[in-house]
Amino acid sequence: MIERIIRWMPQLLNGARTTIIITIISVSIGLVLAVFLALGKMSKHKILSAPCSAYIFFFRGTPLLMQIYFIYFGLPQLNPALTIRSAFVAALIAYVLNTAAYLAENIRAGIQSIDKGQFEAAKALGLTYGQTMRLVIIPQTVRRLIPPVGNEFIMVLKDVSLVAIIGLTDLTKVTRAISSSSATALVYIPAMILYLIITAFFTFIFNKLENKYSVYQ
Amino acid sequence: MSMIRTENVCKDFGELKVLKNVNLTVEQGEVVVIIGPSGAGKSTFLRSLNTLEKITSGKIYIEDELFYHRENDTTVSKMEKEKFSEMLLEMGMVFQQFNLFPHLTVLENVMLAPVNVRKKEKEEAEKTARELLEKVGLSDKADVYPSKLSGGQQQRVAIARALAMEPKVMLFDEPTSALDPELVGEVLSVMKDLANQGMTMLCVTHEMGFAREVADKVIFMADGQILEEGTPEEVFANPKTPQAQQFLRSVL
Repeated sequence: MIERIIRWMPQLLNGARTTIIITIISVSIGLVLAVFLALGKMSKHKILSAPCSAYIFFFRGTPLLMQIYFIYFGLPQLNPALTIRSAFVAALIAYVLNTAAYLAENIRAGIQSIDKGQFEAAKALGLTYGQTMRLVIIPQTVRRLIPPVGNEFIMVLKDVSLVAIIGLTDLTKVTRAISSSSATALVYIPAMILYLIITAFFTFIFNKLENKYSVYQ
Repeated sequence: MSMIRTENVCKDFGELKVLKNVNLTVEQGEVVVIIGPSGAGKSTFLRSLNTLEKITSGKIYIEDELFYHRENDTTVSKMEKEKFSEMLLEMGMVFQQFNLFPHLTVLENVMLAPVNVRKKEKEEAEKTARELLEKVGLSDKADVYPSKLSGGQQQRVAIARALAMEPKVMLFDEPTSALDPELVGEVLSVMKDLANQGMTMLCVTHEMGFAREVADKVIFMADGQILEEGTPEEVFANPKTPQAQQFLRSVL
């Protein structure tokens, strides 16, 4: 039995690598996009807040699976110029756009949880809105954001299993393939353990980050 | 030359009239203390001077120049943008809740605005910041985060932070109201030093001893209006209005 598991390992690890890469890239780029979406949604100007709100509403309100389908299969049918050849790139786009919507709501909540006295003190000292955000508010928001971002990270990690439908081979897909080709359910055990190891590792990293940013409290 | 002059400042929160035609002048070098019962509009008035509060109508002059003028909740005229921001920096503010930046050390708190707003060199800003911390008696706390300080120490840092911008007038919004009684003295003593050095100050406070000892002029406000104005002796010894008489009886 151990022997079979060891034989599957290279394939499983390969799948796990795809899962991890898509997750890390999506959440990283998604975070940057989310900062702008959150600030946009909080803007007093309708011309900024309306599109940002609509974006967030759309991506949180429709299934991720359908978004992946649409980006990979739907867009080329609308206009051939929108064809994305690489399933990997298509998946990345879908995950970035989707996770950004969720992260934006977390960031908005984080910013709104900062005491309004902080904004007033910054204003009284002559800081511009941009400086206030960059130097005062965002740094304080970062620590409060680590737990929800860690949570979102783990959600994405597992949602990546959906990429199988556009032909990518992540950890879940590999597991299913091995299971059907060798007619055994045994492979699910090392696969799930791998998921748990990955989750535990990133939970550990996020906890470390949280401690690092807690120095001033 | 008057440092600050207001003309008919009014502020409505819906139906509620918080400020009713407040006219006040603060001369250069003068220490003006505003007293009065809570809900009198003292803080709202102070906060409207540096635009933290948007007034409904009225004119505010800084150094005899029109800073801004509002009517019916809209700005009628204000100084041109660059000068407006410049003037805003002439007013340092100290808040009841200190509002230090918790993610920055004491030194970084004091240096933040000089470096980012006044565009000072880091070394120069740090030198000034250390001098100011010395002045408020906290030079040994430069590298500590605000959460490690007592309320009185935090408020002294907040004063140093405001002074670092080299303001021409300091606005104090109940600077000792959030402090434990035994910590009030250290903050008041820093404020006294500041007054003795000739700083123009406008303070909202409940510290009658401070008002008596340090103020050049005491203003009594109630119901959004200035009811009495005079030297501490005049206001404290001979209050003319029944509201002031009653207020002083309850606090003295």
